[in-house]
Amino acid sequence: MSRGAALLIGKIAHARKDWEALASILELKEFGSGTRAEFLQNCKAGKYDNVVAIFRSNASTSITGRFDKELVSALPKSLKYICHNGAGYDNIDVDDCTKRGIKITSTPGAVNHATADIAIFLMIGALRQAHKPLAGIRAGKWRGDFTLGHDPNKKILGIIGMGGIGREVALRAKAFGMSVIYHNRTRLSAEREAGAKYVSLKELISQSDVISLNLALNESTRNILGKAEFAEMKTGVVIVNTARSGLIDTEAMIEALDSEKVYSVGLDVYDAEPIVDERLIRNPNIFILPHIGTATYETQKEMEELVLENLKVAVTEGRLLSPIAEQANL
Amino acid sequence: MTPPIALVVGPIFFEDAKWQALAPEVTLKEYRKGTREEFISLLKSGTFDGAEAIFRSNESTAVTGPFTEEIVSVLPSTVKYICHSGAGYDNIDVEACTKRGIQVSNTPHCNEDAVADLTIYLMIGALRQITRPNNALRAGKWRGTIVPGHDPQGKILGILGMGGIGSGVAKRAEAFGMKIQYHNRHPLPSTSTTHPSATYVSFDELLSTSDVISLNLALSHGTEHILGAPEFAQMKKGVVIVNTARGGLIDEEAMIRALDEGKVFSVGLDVFENEPHVDARLLGSEKVVISPHIGAATVETMAAMERLVIENIKSALFDGKLLTQVHEQLVKS
Repeated sequence: MSRGAALLIGKIAHARKDWEALASILELKEFGSGTRAEFLQNCKAGKYDNVVAIFRSNASTSITGRFDKELVSALPKSLKYICHNGAGYDNIDVDDCTKRGIKITSTPGAVNHATADIAIFLMIGALRQAHKPLAGIRAGKWRGDFTLGHDPNKKILGIIGMGGIGREVALRAKAFGMSVIYHNRTRLSAEREAGAKYVSLKELISQSDVISLNLALNESTRNILGKAEFAEMKTGVVIVNTARSGLIDTEAMIEALDSEKVYSVGLDVYDAEPIVDERLIRNPNIFILPHIGTATYETQKEMEELVLENLKVAVTEGRLLSPIAEQANL
Repeated sequence: MTPPIALVVGPIFFEDAKWQALAPEVTLKEYRKGTREEFISLLKSGTFDGAEAIFRSNESTAVTGPFTEEIVSVLPSTVKYICHSGAGYDNIDVEACTKRGIQVSNTPHCNEDAVADLTIYLMIGALRQITRPNNALRAGKWRGTIVPGHDPQGKILGILGMGGIGSGVAKRAEAFGMKIQYHNRHPLPSTSTTHPSATYVSFDELLSTSDVISLNLALSHGTEHILGAPEFAQMKKGVVIVNTARGGLIDEEAMIRALDEGKVFSVGLDVFENEPHVDARLLGSEKVVISPHIGAATVETMAAMERLVIENIKSALFDGKLLTQVHEQLVKS
C-alpha cells in the first residue's frame, strides 16, 4: 500500500521540526504560497491525490481563500482530515466537509491565555481612550487631545461566551477589581463560574459597563450585538471584541460610537480583514489592533504543535485530539 | 469666631460641589486660572491674607508653576496647611514648607489601582511589541511586518518597590499567570496574605532573573538612575521593562543603548526624565510602548483624590491635623 501524504498549506513558523518528523509515516507536500486558482489547478491536476491530511490555518486563508463548497469539492477523494491551526474556523464550510466524510480539528485551549491577554489590553486601552494621548505624545504634543479615562475597578464586565477564553478574561478582570456576569449557551458548573453570575443575554447587555465577546461566530450568533442591543446598553459602555467581527453589526456600532452611547471599543477583528473600515482607522476614541490575539512565539508554537499532534494521531490511530464541536458526534 | 479661610489654587474637576459645601463653616477663596506672576503679585499684595489651608494639585502647576521656595516664602503667614491632590508632590518644596511651619498632605493611595492598571497595559503592550502593529493599522497597512511577541504566562515579574502600587501590579500579574518576585526596602511580613506567591529577592537577583521588571518605587536621591548601565548589563537578554513611577529612576541613555543592542526586548514607559520633553529615539522606536504620564488620569481616580484633599482640609481646619501628611514631615516630627 502506498504511503499517504500530508499537505501543508501556508507556513509553519516554530514547529517545523515536528512537521518534518512526519516524513517517517507520510509523504510531505507543501503549498507554501500562491493563489486560489493555482491551488485549485493543482487539485484538478491530481497533484494531491494521495493526501490524507491537510494542515491549514486562518492565515492560509489569504493564500487559498475560504474552504468553501467550491474548494472542498475539489479536494482529493483520499482526504480524511483537515487539521486547522486556529480556534476559530468560520473560514471552513463544515457541512460540506462533513458530507464528504472529512473530519476537522482545531486548536482550542492553546489560544486561551494570549487571546485573554489581548482582550484585557484592549479593554484598558478603550477605557483610557489610550489612542489619543499616544497620538499626542508621538506628535511631540505631550498629551495632545487626551481626556481622562475610566477605571475598570468596581465596574461590571459582561462576558458573552464563557468558554476557555472567556474564563481566562474573567480571571484577569477580577484582578482589576471588576465583577463578572456572563451569558453562555448553558450555565457553567459553580467551579468553572468562579463567582461569575449567569444572566440572560438581555440582562447582560443592560447591566454591563464593559462587554467582552468571546464566542464563536456562526449563523445563530451573527450580529448578536445589533441596533436593538446597542439601544439597551448603558450609556458609556465599552465593548471589546477579540472573537469575530461578524458578531457585531458594524454600522450600528459606529452609529453608537458617534452618538457616544458607546464610550469606546477595543477591537482585534474586522469585517473584511485585512481591509479595515476607514471610519474605524480614523476614530481617535477607539483602540484597535490588527488581529494579533495569538501572535506570540509561545502560543503560535503551541498551536502549531497541537495541529501536528492532531494530524499524527489522526493518521496513525484514527482518533481526533481536538475535534470541532459541530462534528463531535461523527 | 470667624470661619477659617481656605484657598483653592488651580482647577477642581469633579468635586467642586464638595468644595463649595465647605461654606459657610469655611470661607472659600480661589485662584483657579491665571499666571505665576499674577499669583505671586496677589500673594504679595495681601489678597489671600488670612488663608489657613490651600487646595492645590499637580494640575495647578500649569497655572502657578511649582510651589518652590519663591512661592512658599510669600504665602500669607496664616497658612498652616497645603493639601495637595496627587500622589507625587515633587512640585512642592516640602523643606521650605516645613521651615515655615506649613504642613503638607498628598493623596497617597487613591492612584494605586489606576497606576497598576496602566502598568499591566504597558507590560502587555511591551511584551507584544504592540507599537508596530498599532502604527501599521492606523496607517492603513494592516499588520505591517510584525514580530511575534511573548506571553506573560509562566514568566517572572520582578517588582522594584512593593508598596501599594507594586502590590496592585503583583495581584494583576498573577492573574496573567506570572510568577512574582520583588525587592523592597524591607521584605513584606511573612504573615502577609496579599501575595502568598511573591518571593523577596536581593536587588541583584531581581535584575538577573526577571523576565519583566516593573518600577514601582519613589524617586529620591538614593534611587536616581537605579537602573543604569551596570544594571542593564546584569539583566537577562530579552528583558522587558515597565516604568510608571518616575523617569529619573532610569538612565535613559543606558536604556536606549540596551534596546538597540537587543539586550532589552522592549519597554513600556509612562514617565520620562525630562517630561514633557521625550527623547526622539524613544518616540520613534517600535520597541517602545509609551503614554504621557497618564497613570492616574481617570475620572474616578481624580475624583477620589479631590475628595481626599477636601477631607484633609476639613480635618486640618476642624481637628487640627491632616489625614495623609507627607511622610518626610512625619519622620521629622
